[in-house]
This record gives sequence, structure tokens and C-alpha cells, in this order.
Amino acid sequence: MSFWHWILRRRQGDRELDEELRFHIAEETRLRQERGQDRAGAERSARRDFGNLALAREVTRGMWGWSAVERAAQDLRFALRMMAKNPAFTCLALVALALGIGATTAMFTVVNSVLLRPLPFRDPGRLVVVWERPPDADRNNVVQTQNFLDWRKRNRSFDDIAALFEIPMNLEGEGEPVQVPGMLVTAGFFEILGTRPLLGRTIRPEDDVRGAPGVVLLDYGLWQRRFGGRADVLGRKIVIQGGPHEVIGVMPPGFNFPTQARADLYRPMQIDPAAAPRDGRNYSTVARLRPNVSLRDAQADIRAIAAQTAQERPEMNAKWSANVVPLMDETVKNSRQTLLMLFGSVTLVLLIACANVSNLLLMRASARRREMTLRVALGAGRWRLVHQLLTESFVLAVTGGLLGLLLAWWGVPAILGMLPAGFPLPRMGEIAVNSRVLIFAMAVSLGCGVFFGLLPALQVDRSRMSEGLRQGGRYGSAGNQRLRGLLVVAEVGLAMLLVIGAGLMLRSFLLLHATNSGFQPERLLTFRMLVVPQQFSSFEELLARRAAMVRDMLDRIRTLPGVTAASSVHLLPLTGMQSGSWFSRADRPEPPPGSQEGGDVSIISDDYFRTMGARLLAGREFNARDRMGAPPVAIINQAAARHFFPDENPIGKRLRVWWPPDQGPAEIVGVVADVRNRGLDRNADPCLFLPQGQKPSGFVALVVRTSGNPLAAIAAVKQQIRAAAPHQGTQQIETMESVMGASIARPRLEAAILVIFGLVALTLACVGIYAVISYSVEQRTRELGIRLALGAAPIGVLLQVLHEGMTLAGAGIAAGFAAALVLTRYLASLLYSVRPTDALVYASVSAALALAAMAGCYVPARRATRVDPAVVLREE
Amino acid sequence: MGSHEPYQNRIELLQGTLDMLILRTLQWGPQHGHGIGVAIRATSGDVLQVEHGSLYPALHRLRKEGWIESEWKMTENKQRARYYRLTAKGRKKLSAEESRWNAMVQAIARVMRPV
Repeated sequence: MSFWHWILRRRQGDRELDEELRFHIAEETRLRQERGQDRAGAERSARRDFGNLALAREVTRGMWGWSAVERAAQDLRFALRMMAKNPAFTCLALVALALGIGATTAMFTVVNSVLLRPLPFRDPGRLVVVWERPPDADRNNVVQTQNFLDWRKRNRSFDDIAALFEIPMNLEGEGEPVQVPGMLVTAGFFEILGTRPLLGRTIRPEDDVRGAPGVVLLDYGLWQRRFGGRADVLGRKIVIQGGPHEVIGVMPPGFNFPTQARADLYRPMQIDPAAAPRDGRNYSTVARLRPNVSLRDAQADIRAIAAQTAQERPEMNAKWSANVVPLMDETVKNSRQTLLMLFGSVTLVLLIACANVSNLLLMRASARRREMTLRVALGAGRWRLVHQLLTESFVLAVTGGLLGLLLAWWGVPAILGMLPAGFPLPRMGEIAVNSRVLIFAMAVSLGCGVFFGLLPALQVDRSRMSEGLRQGGRYGSAGNQRLRGLLVVAEVGLAMLLVIGAGLMLRSFLLLHATNSGFQPERLLTFRMLVVPQQFSSFEELLARRAAMVRDMLDRIRTLPGVTAASSVHLLPLTGMQSGSWFSRADRPEPPPGSQEGGDVSIISDDYFRTMGARLLAGREFNARDRMGAPPVAIINQAAARHFFPDENPIGKRLRVWWPPDQGPAEIVGVVADVRNRGLDRNADPCLFLPQGQKPSGFVALVVRTSGNPLAAIAAVKQQIRAAAPHQGTQQIETMESVMGASIARPRLEAAILVIFGLVALTLACVGIYAVISYSVEQRTRELGIRLALGAAPIGVLLQVLHEGMTLAGAGIAAGFAAALVLTRYLASLLYSVRPTDALVYASVSAALALAAMAGCYVPARRATRVDPAVVLREE
Repeated sequence: MGSHEPYQNRIELLQGTLDMLILRTLQWGPQHGHGIGVAIRATSGDVLQVEHGSLYPALHRLRKEGWIESEWKMTENKQRARYYRLTAKGRKKLSAEESRWNAMVQAIARVMRPV
């Protein structure tokens, strides 16, 4: 029959039943009246004699049989009513679930977007990156220009291969000149990725030839910001690096090459084939595998070509090989471990939350035994009861899950917004809550619901029904109590594991933060830029102009009040970017190709070390006399001195340096204390410093030490830069402290997130202990009351309750301690100078957890001592 | 009905026996719920006092099984009441229950009275 029909029938049945029962009461009243009772008394006794009218009505209606829908609706209504009747329990459970499921969902959102979803390109599984591999180490190195050309010509594995190079681009016209991040790419780059431009076209081979007219593609964001999103930008000529470039296209929003930060402009690389063999190693590459070619085949192919080029150009390529890596791996390899570690930690939080809610439900189930037994006695089937209990836990789980989802949906963008701009999390722009995340959240909620719903439901079979109805039947069964105790031990153990992990990460971060960088970062302002001389007719003139521009800028800046020192370096320390090259002692024979040594190379202006606050150990800094045409000079750091001149004074000795323009061996004029260039967590490599005046670099970072607040000096310095070079834009203006902070942003975030998880876990475990001890005290009120009546000291009762709680906590702490000893080794690679079994961390965390457990026990223990024996005895 | 047996057993015995008593009572003619309770009590000489809370679930269950059917009629006092009446199926069920009951009574009697 139709749904409406069925509802109407049931309504009518309800009405008739009501009338029938009313009639019965009326008849009974009439009978008693006939026997002599007054009307009111008769009615009262008639009703009382009937028993529980409401219950009888319910059970009678039950005899009609329910449809599945009505059963479900009934259970749902009942579950909601139960939740409303115990607000404290419901709140506690919902908060625990919202935190657990919310944090897990948030973490999954990030993991899904970064690690699981394929890259947003056409057939992304076929995209690979090709690196060169140096002779001495199995790492990936950027690629030499001629090698790239040879790979492109001779390979048999790729549809196409392209080279790319990140470089700041000076954008002029309409307002202040700015430097924006840009990318030089070879033709075919966009076709390899398979992304079509939003407007216009991409770079064609004709554009990628040396001497061809300049063209440029715009990033979507730049198009909106600087060109108002107008379609007439196509065909316009804009001035980049002093030269006109025609805008040929605009890329769609969200497009960027995943291993690099966002690029605003794309220009053709225009490789000069004649100059290619003499170039250094600079480029990254990307390639698309041919349809039936495997990664291994491609690697073998490229390695074979690398072997050929090693023969053809041994000075450059001897013993160098190549690596082919999937683009996805390349993108996520640095974050994968961190993300998985964080995801593992958050599942611990979820487990603790579930254990907590489980415990709460078990305690409530014990309290409702009488109700359950009555229902069974009145004819409710066992499955019906189980069904109803499961409904309750599902309602709880799903509500908690929805709250958690909301938390994640709001929280993830909020946290991402708080990250520094250059934070090394790849694909950050792609992180979003999507349907897969929703499904995950629902699955987790339902899983939780089953997990903590099943335990009390299973108790329905096992509890002996008759016990439930006796007056004294308030005690939990022994099995139930053991289960609750086990859950608390598990909770505390998991919390211990998590907090130890957090403690290790925190200690590691603090040690990292306190590491001596080798220089003084306070009150130091940095301006990063690519120096763009305007007119020059030869390479030599370009170099001369670069040197002159930098000298001019520094001279002007040094005259500013409030500036105590100023200098420049080509790549700032701690930015993750460094140059390296070969150098060797001039008084020893040159090492054969393939076994050269070297280290970092830094191009600096005079007065650099004084500006940075690094210690000069011997000799002098560069000065104005060290310019083009003067004898070539160099400064080395301690590590280089130890390596190349172990027991001698390096000052005055000469080094052969491979850094164009070649001016012959350089004389060492100074030795400086190590500066941690590549990262605070790594010791300094041997480093060679060359003067900007002799080896003028296009990349320049001005460093300015101020006497007051560095940010206040920005405007004045920019003015001086403009005065020296009106068309020069700066890319990034930052204090050195900010740069340093950004270099440890990842460990900071890891530590912060883990500490938050740890605090949540600690709170949940504390609440879990509190709830269990509280309940236990409540159950034993009579026993404790009798004890107190018999003269036991309240302090004894207090200690007894504390003992019970601390035993559970102690077992949990011990279990967590042991688990941590075994499991924290997976953190080892993320820790800096802290061993995974660090004693200080383990000891302090154990103490903290013991204190938290004590706090959780204390209130119920106090309550136990306040039990009034008289009240308890009276209840008997 | 005694009050010291374990509760569970009490329910089962009550269900089967109560069904039989109700069907027997209705054999004498249609009656409403209150009347059935009064009749059982009276006929048993005040020994069997049916709990009213169990009476109506039993009646509705019997009706669902098809052994009795119901009809709204007017009482002598001009009040509307639901009257129950045995069906043919119900008659068959009653005789089946009756034989079972007799068999059980004889078996118990044999145990109680040694040969």
C-alpha cells in the first residue's frame, strides 16, 4: 500500500488503541465505584492497578509489527532524546569526536591533494624529470646546456623533452619596475605538460631561436593584477629586462610547474648552440615518455647518451651519468615523509578520541542495564536492542563527523594562510576539500560508530538479565570493568607515544633555531634582484656594467643615515639556493676530469663579512681595488682551509677556479669562519668567495645592516637603488631574520602541529581517566561509605582511589614508553641532533603524563572522601 | 500467578497460557478487553488475576495472528468499546492449545504421583 495510506492506517490504529485503553480504565473505575469507592479514588486505584499505561501502549503497538522505516525513525528519535538528556556526556563525546575526526580529515585533505591526486596535466603518469648525476654522489644535479641538446637530439624514449630555468624578470612600464619570478623554457614545454593556454598560443620553435623577437606568456594571476584581465593584452609589447616582448598568450588559472614556485612570466630560452658546450650546469628538464617506453628503458637510454657525451667532452662530463625520475616523485619527495608522519600522528589522536567515546558509551550502557533488561522482558528482540544501540552510536559518530568536517573545512585554508609565502609544501594551491575528502570523513565517522557502538551492543547478550533488575544491580560486570580499564590504558599509551613524538620534534626545532648560523641576522635587510644593465654591446661590457651598477648602489646606500654597513652576495645564505664549482690548489697538479673537488661559490662585494657579522679569521676582506684587470683574488672559509690546506697558512697561496671569466689562478687573501649557507641543519661545505668586481654576477642580493628597525630603512634604500638604476626592480625585500625563519619553517610547522596533537591527546587521556575513576567511585559509593562509617581515614580512601587511577595510568605510560622506543626511529630523519631515544624528552613526557593522570584522578578521589556514610547506609 | 519464579520463565508461561485463557473466554461469545479480564478472574474463582498491562498486548497479538477479530460496538451503558470474537482459525488454535495443556498436566501428574 502507499506510504500515506500506511500512515493513515497507523494513526487510526493509535487512536483506536487510546480509546480502547480509556474505556478499560473507565470500566474499572465504574466497578470500583460500585464497590463503594469515591470517584477520584476509584480512578486513581484503577490507573495504578493497570500498571504502566504508556509502556503497555508501546508494547501493544509493538505487536502490530513495525516496518523497517518506522523502526529506524523510532531508534533515531530515541537516540536524539538520549543525547539531549545527557548534555555533559554528549558534549564530551562530540568534542572528542569533532577534534579527532576533524584533525584526521584536515590531514587527509592535505595528503590527498599533495600525495594521492595525480598532477593536473594531461596523462601525468608519463611525465618525468631528467637530471645529471655527478661522479661522486648519487644525487640529482641540474643539467648542462650542451648535454640537454644532445639528449633532445639523440633520445629514443621521449615524445619531447624541454629545459627550464627559474630567473627573476625585470618588468618595466606602468608604474614602478618590479622583478617577478619568471621561467625560461624551451619550445615544447607547454605541449609536454599538455596544458593549453587560456588565451593566445604557446612558444613555437621559431620563437626559441637566438635572435628571434622576444615573446612572453603571462601567468593568470599576473594578467589579472597588472593588466586588469583584459583580452587586448595579446599582441601588446611589454618591456622585460630592458627589451620589448610581445605577449602571445595567457595561461589558465592554477597552472604552474609543480617543482618550482609560481612563475609569472614564461619566455623562450633561446639557447645559443655555439655557446652551449662552454656553459655550466643550470637547467632543470621535463619530458614525456613515449607510449610504450618504461621508466627503466628511458633511464638506460639517457645513460647511454650520457656515456657518449662523457667521451665527447670529458673535461665537463667524465664519469657523469643521468637519472630519470617521475615528475610526481620529484614534486613530493621532500614532503612525503613529513606528511605521512603527520597523518600517522593524527590517526593516533583519532584512536584516542574513539577510545574515549567508547569508554563513555560503556559506562552509560552499564547505567542503562535496568532499562535494557526491562525491554527484553517485555518482548523486545535482542537484535532490536542491538539495532537501537548501534543507532545511538551512529548518530553520535555522524554528528561528530559533521562537526569535524566543518572544522577541517574551515581550518585547512586558515592554517595554509598562516604559512609563509615560500613554504616548501608543493601543490599548495591545489589543496581543497573535495568529494574524496567528504567520503573519507563519512567512512571514518561510520568506522568510529561501529567501533565504539559494537562494544556496548555486545554487552547486551552477555549481561545476565536478572541481575539487571535487582535493586543492588548497579555494579558493572567484571568483564565490563576490565574492558574499560583496558581502554584507558590504551588511551594513555597512545597519548604517551604522541607526546613523546611531539617532544622530540619540539626539542629538535629548538636546537635548530638556536644553532649558530655563523653570522648576525639582526637588523639586516636584504634586497634580492637580477641586475639588468640597459645598453651593452658585448659580454665584457655587460659584466662591467653589472659590477658598476652594484658598486654604485652600495656607495649610495652606505651614505644613508641609519645604515652601518652594506654589501652584496649573489645568493643569500639559507635560501636553499647555492652555487658550486670546482676549485683546486694551483701548486698541485690539476685533478683528472671526473675526480675534481670543489665546493660552494659565493660572489660578494667588499665589506661583506663585516656587514653580515661573520668573523674574519685571517687576512682581509675584498676592497675597491679588487676589480676587473687587477690580480684575481679569493677568500675561503674554514672548511675549505681545513680541506685544501690542512696544516698550512692558506693566505698567499693560489687556487685554480672554474668560474668565467677566466682570469687565472686566484690568490687567497682571507680566511673566514664557517657560515651555514645551505641550511642551519648542515655543517658548512668548503666555500670560495670571489669578488663581485672581478666575477660580476647578475644575481645580486644587497645586504644592509641598519642601526634601528630595518623595515624603516626600506624606502630610503629603494630610493638609492632607483637613483643608481632607474629601471631596476627588486624582487624580494626581506629581513635576514625572516629569511632564516623561512628556512626552518618546515621543522617549525611540524613541531607546532605535533605539539597541538599532543596537547589534544593529553587532554583526552586526562578526561578519559577522570571519567573512568569518577564512574568507579560512583559505583562504589556504598562500599566507600561503609568504610568511612567504620572509621577508615579519609586520606586512606583518597589514596586508594588515586592508587586505582594511577595504576591504570602507570600501565599506559609504561606501554607508551615501550612503543615509543620502538616506533620513534621512523622520525629519525626528521630530527636534528636529537636521538629518537632522547632521555630528557622521555623523562619529561612521562612526568607530564603522570601529572595529568593525577589531575584526572584527584577530583573524583576528593569526592570519594566526601561520601556521607549516613546517607549511604540509609539507602540500604 | 506466583511472584517468585525467575522473571523470564514467568513471561513465557504467561504468554502461552494467557492466550489459551483468552481464546477459551471468547468461546462463550464476543467480549471487550476489560470484560475478558473480569471473566477470567471470575471463572477462576478470583485466583487468576490477569495483569492488565499484559492483557492488551496479548489481545493485539492474537488479532494479528488471525485467531480473533475485533469490532467496535456499543455497550449497555451506551459507550463505544472494541469487542473481540473468535475466528475459525482461533477455534482450531484453541483446541490445539487445549490438548497440549492436558498432555502437560497429565505428565506433571504422573511425576507427582508415584506408581
